[in-house]
Amino acid sequence: MPVPMDLPRAMHKTFVRDKEACASFRKTCPQSLRRLSRLRRISVPAGLLLLLVAGQSVSGQVKMPRLDFHERTLANGLRIVSAENRTSPTVAIQVWYHVGSKDDPAGRSGFAHLFEHMMFKSTRNMKSEMMDRLTEDIGGFDNAFTNDDTTVYYEVVPSNYLETLLWAEADRLSGLNVDAQNFKSERDVVKEEYRQTVLAPPYGRLDYFLQQKSFTAHPYKRPTIGSIEDLNAAALADVQAFHASFYRPDNATLVVVGDFDQQQLDTWIDKYLQPIAKPGSPLPRVTVKEPQRKKEVRFTENGPNVPLPAVGITYLTPPITDADAESLRVAQTILSAGESSRLYHALVYEQQIAQSASATANLLEDVGLFHLNAIAASGRKPEDVEASLLAEVKKMQDAPVSQAELDKAINQIVTSQLLERETNDGKALALGTATVLLGDPNRVNTDLVRLQAVSTADVQRVMKKYFNSENRLVLYYLPEPAKSKPEGR
Amino acid sequence: MRVSRKVFLVLAVLVLELSFFAGDQAQAQPPQATPPPPAAPRSLQIPRAVEQTFTNGLRVIVIERAGTPLVSAQLIIKNGAEVDPPSLAGLAHLTASLLTLGTRTRTATQIAEAIEALGGSQSSEAGWDASAASVGVMSSKISPALEILADAVRHPTFKADEIERLRQQYIDYLNVQLSEPGAIASFVAARVLYGAAPYGHPLGGTPESLTRIKRADIVGLHRNLYRPDNAILMIGGDIRADLAFSFARKYFGDWKRPALRLRPSGQQHAGRSLNGKARVLVIDKPDAEQAAIVVTRAGISRRDPDYFSGIVTNSVLDGYSGRLNQEIRIKRGLSYSVGSGLDSRREVGPFVASAQTRNDAGAQVAELLLGELNRLATAPISETELVPRKAVLVGNFSRELEQLNGLVNDVGFLAMLGLSLDETNQFVNNVQAVSASDVQRFAATHLKAGEASIVVVGNAKEFLPQLKKQFKGVEVIPIAELDLNSAGLRKSRTRASKIGR
Repeated sequence: MPVPMDLPRAMHKTFVRDKEACASFRKTCPQSLRRLSRLRRISVPAGLLLLLVAGQSVSGQVKMPRLDFHERTLANGLRIVSAENRTSPTVAIQVWYHVGSKDDPAGRSGFAHLFEHMMFKSTRNMKSEMMDRLTEDIGGFDNAFTNDDTTVYYEVVPSNYLETLLWAEADRLSGLNVDAQNFKSERDVVKEEYRQTVLAPPYGRLDYFLQQKSFTAHPYKRPTIGSIEDLNAAALADVQAFHASFYRPDNATLVVVGDFDQQQLDTWIDKYLQPIAKPGSPLPRVTVKEPQRKKEVRFTENGPNVPLPAVGITYLTPPITDADAESLRVAQTILSAGESSRLYHALVYEQQIAQSASATANLLEDVGLFHLNAIAASGRKPEDVEASLLAEVKKMQDAPVSQAELDKAINQIVTSQLLERETNDGKALALGTATVLLGDPNRVNTDLVRLQAVSTADVQRVMKKYFNSENRLVLYYLPEPAKSKPEGR
Repeated sequence: MRVSRKVFLVLAVLVLELSFFAGDQAQAQPPQATPPPPAAPRSLQIPRAVEQTFTNGLRVIVIERAGTPLVSAQLIIKNGAEVDPPSLAGLAHLTASLLTLGTRTRTATQIAEAIEALGGSQSSEAGWDASAASVGVMSSKISPALEILADAVRHPTFKADEIERLRQQYIDYLNVQLSEPGAIASFVAARVLYGAAPYGHPLGGTPESLTRIKRADIVGLHRNLYRPDNAILMIGGDIRADLAFSFARKYFGDWKRPALRLRPSGQQHAGRSLNGKARVLVIDKPDAEQAAIVVTRAGISRRDPDYFSGIVTNSVLDGYSGRLNQEIRIKRGLSYSVGSGLDSRREVGPFVASAQTRNDAGAQVAELLLGELNRLATAPISETELVPRKAVLVGNFSRELEQLNGLVNDVGFLAMLGLSLDETNQFVNNVQAVSASDVQRFAATHLKAGEASIVVVGNAKEFLPQLKKQFKGVEVIPIAELDLNSAGLRKSRTRASKIGR
């Protein structure tokens, strides 16, 4: 459903240092990085008055251009993946740190993300916001995002500035130099981010509750943005400790894509990144295992400012590296991509029971979470919305999807990747995901084969295997009940 | 064959100043304490658009760009929501959205399936000044995709059940949107600026106006405006121009131009002074968890000779390192997102500066936003500050053009307004030509804070006392009494006497 979008551009801008930063990553939001499915339709800041989505399509055998890359690991453990692309005079630089909100210190939920904001303050040799001087001021951009498993810093600059940015990334990897004033003010920014993304939007709390309730033991149960109390508890000393624990060359991957010469890049890496020492201490890693769910769990939450009831359902799924990951991605696409998808067609179009409906396979590193979300159409009950969502799940368990439907889903996934890889930062995002989360940069090329090997039987099998009632969590998110008497405050 | 033209981007303009570096911290550091300087800049190529006008009046524009094997096509109608009758806000958007929901030979479901099976997507909607339907496909599938696009634009059936379905979806969507303080503030700001004139109503309408729209209104709008001599077809991507023109002729060549003369597009604001009276308006929404603040005033039209001065001026305020974000977010931690926009349309569009903040900071942020407008209008800007803000504009522009959709959108927008398509190639020069005195003159003429209205939506008891100390004549409308249908914004007590038809 195309929706009217006439808010001034400024209202939509997701600036920088953004937690759910997919929104700031141009139009593409790779599933593997998306933290939670969004119930609310996001208005695309098109800038023009015309909001024109260009779809793309692929017929039959899809041809995806190969992404050739160069790989290197330094003695200090830093991994580098680089790919030359000389079509435009720009270069994308990304530094992936293998630390996410699952690594938040005890009593400090939201800290990994707050820390990400601090990485733009003063470092050993840079004043606060100097990263913006080296990017934005010369026509490039910089930003970062934090999710459950990773924290990623990225820049796109005119390619003649590549060396400058390698120096800068090396500098903030080597050490931070944050003062109390900066810390306090940036923590206030993050609190506003919490208010703006969780409290102010009508369904912000729904995503927050779903994340908290979907895990019982694993730290994934702590939403990346944290809580106001834990943010208030964070102290300046925590910043240095966190940097020392996780911001080290053997926990980082540098990705460079664009207009550069490989030999030249290597000499700069030798000069700026090679000298950084690898600490002797071991890297802390989350070892908690999320137990299997044993029976269906149900919750009802009420929130202020909820125009229509909403339903969220989650299922635990295997991690992103599991052999079933591609089949789950296909299932998500069949359920949720486009107006011919099963959820849209059944719930929004035919039954008119939902205002919107979506499925998201959130494939994480330790254990995945599959979401089904829907906002009721006006006058419809959450019970009926739930029943319709579950009926669509059951259909895919009872009978295999058609080959044509499977082919459509695969074409949709591949074209979304084609679009993502149109830009250097999109290519870098694909390489970083493959290297850090899948453990092998070659996956940017080989995953297509895995995807095309998914059969209709595979889709039916994963639907039966994971989408059972014992593995189900259901959350109703409802308006606050009408007050029986006036407030006596 | 690719036709392209070289443009030099002047990106390496920044002289790094020593003051950027916290050099006094120097200890045993990695290789060096100051950043290495940039190498020589390289050039960017922007493909050139070629065009033909068919005998039926349809203007066809093709942009060849190889690389990614995709083609993007848009059919643009040169009118949008600005033509909505006052009581029927949302008519143009509803009409455009219905195009892909059924034709004489295809159902809504068939259209969605046909395009999505190819991995593509289709969309149609109205904006201000234009409506458009678009498809994107693999290059080899452009012919069937254009056939569907032509069918949707030329032969929509506007079936009653599809109208009802979409109407209900939009009403629900609007009700969700109207629970967000930021969205409410934007809608209110447009009414404050434009009143009952075009651009004043919510683009997609209101729950009440959508309810009033009849099928005959939709059919009438389609008949009057969806005609070849009021349309532009854009085709861009990995396709040869001659092939693109031949497909265009095949599917749109026999589109008949109606005998009835097309009435001039675009409505005039008829000499109405947009900055009549600056207002300070509070929408009291006690359950809002943040206050949304919008400062608005009349901007300029896209054809205004001051356009480039305007966007450079806006860039000084807007963006991560723009003045608004510097003052409100970076220095004071008062907001996560702050910004401004000079929305230049066929007629004078709005200038908007906005932020969301905690309720008790609402008055302070309003003051800060206005203060920055004033500062820019009254004090000169240094070259050191201006140069990087121009670089931001140029950088954003070139990244937009790197993507096929961005390129097609940008050229389509110029075509829609009848501007030279060559402006894409002149963009960098036009931006660089803007001087510090141009910026100050623009700010003094167009951004005077005294002429700006302020809208604050939030829990008023947290910020109203302070706001009243800062500004005279603060008006308060409780959210339950807000009426976006009327220029007065306030529900009349007798609700039965709504806008009649």
